[in-house]
Amino acid sequence: MDGVTPMTEMTQTKNVHVGAGSSQSRLIAILPLIVLIVLVAAVTIRQPSFLNIRSLQSLSISLAPILLLGLGQTFVVLTGGIDLSNAALASLGTVLLAMWLPHFGVGAAALMIITLTLLGFVVGWVSATAQIPTFIVTLGAMGLWGGVGMVLTGEATVQIGSSYQAIAWVRDTLFLQIPMPAILAVGAVLLAAALMATLSSGRKFQAIGLAEQAVLMSGGSTFLLRCVAFALSGLCAGLAALVLTASQYSGAPHLADSLLLPVIAAIVVGGTAITGGRGGPMRTLVGASIIVVLRVGLSAIGVDAAYEQVVYGAVIILAVALTIDRSRMQVVK
Amino acid sequence: MHTLEKLRDRASSAVGLTGTSSHRWASRLINAGPVVALVILVAVFSIANSTFLTGGNLQTIGSQLSILLVLAVGMTFVILLGGIDLSSEGVMAASSLVFVLLASNDRNGNNFGWMAVAAGIGTGALFGLVNGVLHANLRIPSFMVTLGTGAVGIGVATVLFGGQPPRLMDASLRTWGVGSWLGVSALLYVALAVLGVALLVQRYTRVGRYGYVIGGDEAIASLSGINAKKYKTGAFVISGTAAGFAGVMASAQLDVGDVNIGKNLLFTAISAVVVGGTVLSGGRGGVLKTFVGSLIIVVLGNGLILVGVSPEVQIAVQSVVIVAAVAMTSWPLRRRVRVVK
Amino acid sequence: MTQLMSSEMAQPTLQVENLTKTFPGVIALDDVSLEVRPHEVVGLIGENGAGKSTLLNILSGLYAPDSGTLKMNGKEVSFKGPRDSARAGIGMVHQEQSLVSAVSVAENILLGAEDQSLTAGWYRWSSLNRRAQRQLDKIGSRIRPTASLGTLTFAQKQMVELAKALAVEEEYDGQPVIVLDEPTSVLESDDLETLFAEIERLRQVASVVFVSHRLDEVLRVSDRVYVMKDGRCVAERDPKTVDVDELYRLMVGRESSGQFYREAQQAPVRDAEPVLTTKGLTKKGCFVDVSLEVRPGEVLGIAGVQGAGREELSRVLFGADSYDAGEVWLSGKRVRFSSPVGAVRAGIGYIPTERRLEGIAQGMSVKENVLLADSRAVSRGPFLDPRLVKELVSQWVMKLNIKTPNIDADVANLSGGNQQKVILAKWLSSPRVKVLILDHPTRGLDVGAKEDVYALIRELCARDMAIILLGDTLEEVIALSHRVVVMRDGSISALFEAAPGRKPTPVELVKWMV
Repeated sequence: MDGVTPMTEMTQTKNVHVGAGSSQSRLIAILPLIVLIVLVAAVTIRQPSFLNIRSLQSLSISLAPILLLGLGQTFVVLTGGIDLSNAALASLGTVLLAMWLPHFGVGAAALMIITLTLLGFVVGWVSATAQIPTFIVTLGAMGLWGGVGMVLTGEATVQIGSSYQAIAWVRDTLFLQIPMPAILAVGAVLLAAALMATLSSGRKFQAIGLAEQAVLMSGGSTFLLRCVAFALSGLCAGLAALVLTASQYSGAPHLADSLLLPVIAAIVVGGTAITGGRGGPMRTLVGASIIVVLRVGLSAIGVDAAYEQVVYGAVIILAVALTIDRSRMQVVK
Repeated sequence: MHTLEKLRDRASSAVGLTGTSSHRWASRLINAGPVVALVILVAVFSIANSTFLTGGNLQTIGSQLSILLVLAVGMTFVILLGGIDLSSEGVMAASSLVFVLLASNDRNGNNFGWMAVAAGIGTGALFGLVNGVLHANLRIPSFMVTLGTGAVGIGVATVLFGGQPPRLMDASLRTWGVGSWLGVSALLYVALAVLGVALLVQRYTRVGRYGYVIGGDEAIASLSGINAKKYKTGAFVISGTAAGFAGVMASAQLDVGDVNIGKNLLFTAISAVVVGGTVLSGGRGGVLKTFVGSLIIVVLGNGLILVGVSPEVQIAVQSVVIVAAVAMTSWPLRRRVRVVK
Repeated sequence: MTQLMSSEMAQPTLQVENLTKTFPGVIALDDVSLEVRPHEVVGLIGENGAGKSTLLNILSGLYAPDSGTLKMNGKEVSFKGPRDSARAGIGMVHQEQSLVSAVSVAENILLGAEDQSLTAGWYRWSSLNRRAQRQLDKIGSRIRPTASLGTLTFAQKQMVELAKALAVEEEYDGQPVIVLDEPTSVLESDDLETLFAEIERLRQVASVVFVSHRLDEVLRVSDRVYVMKDGRCVAERDPKTVDVDELYRLMVGRESSGQFYREAQQAPVRDAEPVLTTKGLTKKGCFVDVSLEVRPGEVLGIAGVQGAGREELSRVLFGADSYDAGEVWLSGKRVRFSSPVGAVRAGIGYIPTERRLEGIAQGMSVKENVLLADSRAVSRGPFLDPRLVKELVSQWVMKLNIKTPNIDADVANLSGGNQQKVILAKWLSSPRVKVLILDHPTRGLDVGAKEDVYALIRELCARDMAIILLGDTLEEVIALSHRVVVMRDGSISALFEAAPGRKPTPVELVKWMV
C-alpha cells in the first residue's frame, strides 16, 4: 500500500516491545528489589553490625542526597531526557545557602530551593525551545553552575558560623529514630509516587517518554511538561543541597559534583529505563538503596574506595544495556 | 504543465541546503565564520593587552593548544557521527597513569621508555574500542556509554594513583614534554602531526568518509550496504586513542601521572569542535574546522586571562558557548511536532 | 559498454512474473506480471494504493515478494537487500532523494561500491572520480564529480541520483533497468524538458520504467503504458493510440457498493453556519490558496494523489504545522494555532495517518490512551477518579466494539482496527470536539472494522460533528462525503456535490486529480 515504508514494515515484524505487563518489564520491576535484599543479606553476613541502629542511621544520612538527586533525575529521565547538571546545581545550592544563611536565617533555605527550581525550569525551557538534546543542554548547565559557584566563592568553602542554627534541625532531628535527612528524602519520594498515581496528569511524564509524538498530536503540552520536569529536578537539587549543607556545616562549589555518577547508577539500577517512559520514584528508592548498600558492602569486603568509580561506570553500562527499550530506537546516536 | 515551483523548495529543504545562490552565500558565510571570529579575537586581544602577541605568550598559547587539539581532533570523528565521547577525562587519566608507571618513574623500577608511550596510547585505544562496541552493538546512546567508561577510567587511574602522583623521571620523554624547537613547543609539533594524520584519515579512509554518511543519514548508509557498526566503532577507537595520546602528552608536559590530568578538558574539547563548525547532530564538519575552533578557544582563554578574567569564569562561559552554538545550528530545524530528547 | 539496438523479438531486460505480496490485512500485489524490453521506456500509472510503491520496493530489494519471480535478462534473481538489486542491474531513482550532502558527487554516485577505487583501505580519488564521470557522461551532465553535493541545486541533485542509478551498470554485465519514481513531481518546466531529454538519452544505454501520476507526462515519454489497480496489473496500452478516458476508467473504475458505505444513512446537511472555514490558506511548497468550509453534520471529503497537498493541509488545520498566508475561522472566530494544543482546546480532533507514532501512545494502556486528549470528565479537581475512569472507558470500549482483554492492556498489542477505534474513542470522549479531521482513517483495517468506522461517521454527522475526510480510496471519499474537494498539485481543482443517489463517479474525479 502506498505509504507503508520499509521502516514501518521492519518495526512491524521486529516488535520486541517492552510493553506494560510483558515479561521483560515485570522482571525489571522485581529484579532490583531482589538484588537489594540479597545485597543487604550478604553485607549483614559479612558485617553483622550493619543492621544496628547507628549503622542504619548513618546509612540513611548518606542515602538522602543521592535519593533526592535521584528523585529529581527520575522526573527528567521518565520524559526520555537526562539531567547531567543536577549534582552541579546542588553544589551551587550549597554555596547559595551558605552565603544567604547569615542574612535570611531559615528563609535562606526556601529562597535557595526556589532559586534552584527556577534555574531548573530555565534549563528545561532552553532545551524545549531550541529543540536540542537534553544531554548537551545539561552538560553546558553543569559547567555553568560550577563556574558560577566558583566565581561566587573564589573556589573556597563557605563556612557557616552561628547562623547554622537555622538549619540545624535538618541534621539533628530524629523522628522515631530516623534522621531528618532520610525522612525528607523518603518523604519526597513517597509524595511524588502518590501524586503520580492519583493526579490526572500524574502519568504525563511517562507518556512523554513513551510516545511524545502521540501526546503532542493529542493536544498535550509537552513543552510545559518538559520544563516542569526540569524544574522538579531543580527543586530536588535544592532539597539535596539543604541536606548536604546541614551535614557538612558549609557550602562549597563542587560539594555535590561527585554524586552525579552514583545518582545515575541509582536510577538505572532501580529499573528506570534511560529511554524514558518506564519507572518511577519508588524504583529510584530501591536503586539508591542498592547503591548505598553496595558502597558499604564494598568497603566491608576491603575493596579500596578508589574502585568505586569503576563500579559505578560498569554498573551503569550493564543496567542500561539490560533496561533499554531498543524497539523504540531506530537510530541510536 | 505543472509548475508549482514551491514544491521544489519543500523537497530541497528536506535534504538540506538547496544550492540556490542565496543558500550558497549563506553556507559560505557560515563556513567562514569561525575563521573571521578568530581574526577578530586576535585583533581585539592584541589591542587590549600588549603582551598578547609576544613570543612568550604565543609559546604558551602553542603548548596549551597542543593537548587540546589532539583531544578535539579525536572527538571530531565521534561528533561527526552524531554521537559524543564523554569519557575523555577518564581515558586521559588512565593513560596518564599507565604511561608514567611504565616509564621511568619514582614509584617503581620500570623503564620502558617509548613502549610506555605506546602503552598509554593503547590504553586510550582500548577504552575507545569498548565505547564503540558497546554503543554500536548494544545500541546504548553514546553519552551513556562514555559516561560509564569515563567513570571506569577515573576509577582505574585512582587505583593506580595510590594517593600520590608518580613522577616521570625519563629524561628524553621529559624533553619532549617541555622542550621547544625554533621557539615552538615540541608538543605542538606533535599535535600538528596528529592533525595531519587525522586529516589523511578523514580524507582517504572509509572510517573518515563513511563517518559523514552515517552521521548525515544512517538509513542511507545501511541501504547502500555500509556496515555502520564497524565504522562507528572505528570512530570511537580514534577518539579514545586521541584521548590516550593527549593523556601521555599532558603527563610529559607536567612530569606526573595524575587522575586530574584531563580536568575540564572535556568541555574545552567539545567547545572547540562545536565552535569550529562541526555540528552535534553529525554529518557536517571536519578536523580542519576543529583546528580553527581549538585556536579560537585557546586564544579566547588566553586573552581573557590577560585582560584579567579568571579561569573559573571561562568554564562557565565555555559551557554557555557550547549550548549557544548548538542552539544556533539547530535553530532552522525546529518544527512544531518534533521530538528531541 | 556498447549495445546493439535490439529487435522486437529480443529477450526482455526485466520480467516480472506473477508477483504477489501481502501485508497484514491487505493484498498489496496480486499476481502482477509485466516486462521491460531493451531500450524501452515503460510507463506505470495507477492511483494511490494501486500497488506501484510496493512493486518498486520489491524491485529495489527492500521487500521480498511472497511469490512470483523476477528475471533480469532471462536469469532469475532474488534480492536480500538494495545492494543485491543494484548488482542485478536495477537502478532506482527514489521519490525522496537518497543523497548525502556532506560528501562529494562522486562519493554519492558510488556509495557502497567504492571497493574498486580503494587500495589497502586508502581512497584513490582519481579512480573514484573517473568512474563517477563515466556515469555523468552518460546523461551528458556537466556536474563535476568533485563538487560537494550540498552546493548543487535540486535539479542537479536529481541528475546525480540518475547517475547513481546508472552506476549499477558497473557491476552488471548487461543492460540495466532504471526506475524513475515520480521524478517530475518537484520539477519546474525547464527542468522537466531537461529530464525528458535525459530519458531519451538514457534509452541508448538502459531501459527505463517511468512511474508517475501525471498522465500527460507518462504518455509523452513512454513506449508502452501499464495500468495498475488494486494491486493488479489490469492493462497494457500504446500511449500513442490510447483514449485518455479509457485510462481513467482502467485506473479507478469499480463496482461501487453504496451499502458498504451506509449511503442510505447519509442525511442532508442542515442549513447552518460553517464550523470551520479557511480563506486563501497557503503554505509554501505544499498548497496554495485553499478556501473551504465545513458545516456541522457534514462530511467534506478531500481527494487527491499523494503530493497534492491534502495531508499537509490537514496537519496545518490541526496546528501541527505552520502556514504562510490565509485565514482560518472556527465557529465564527478567527483562530491561529501555534501548536496542536490550541487546536485541541478549540475543539479540533485529528486522526493521523501515522497511527502507531502519532495516534496511539504505544506502551500505555487502552484506558490511558482514551483519556489522552481530555481527562476532565473523569477528574475530581486535579485528581483522577478511578471509578469514573473505568466507567467512561468501558463505555467507549463497548460502544465502539473495541476488542481488548481489558482496559489496562497495552494498546500496542491491539490490532490495527482496534487501535484506530481507541483513537476515535479518545476524541469522541471529549465533549468539546466539534471538528474531526480523519486522515486515511481506514488504512490497514479489515472489512469489519471499516464498516464500524463508516457507521460511526454517519452517527457523528447525526450529532452535528463536522468531519473532514481524507479517504483511502476514491470510492470511500465519494460515498461518505456530502461534498468532495479535489486537490491537485497544491490547489483545489474541483468541487463536487455528493448527495446520496447523485454521487459523482471516480472517473469524473480522477480527471481533476492527475
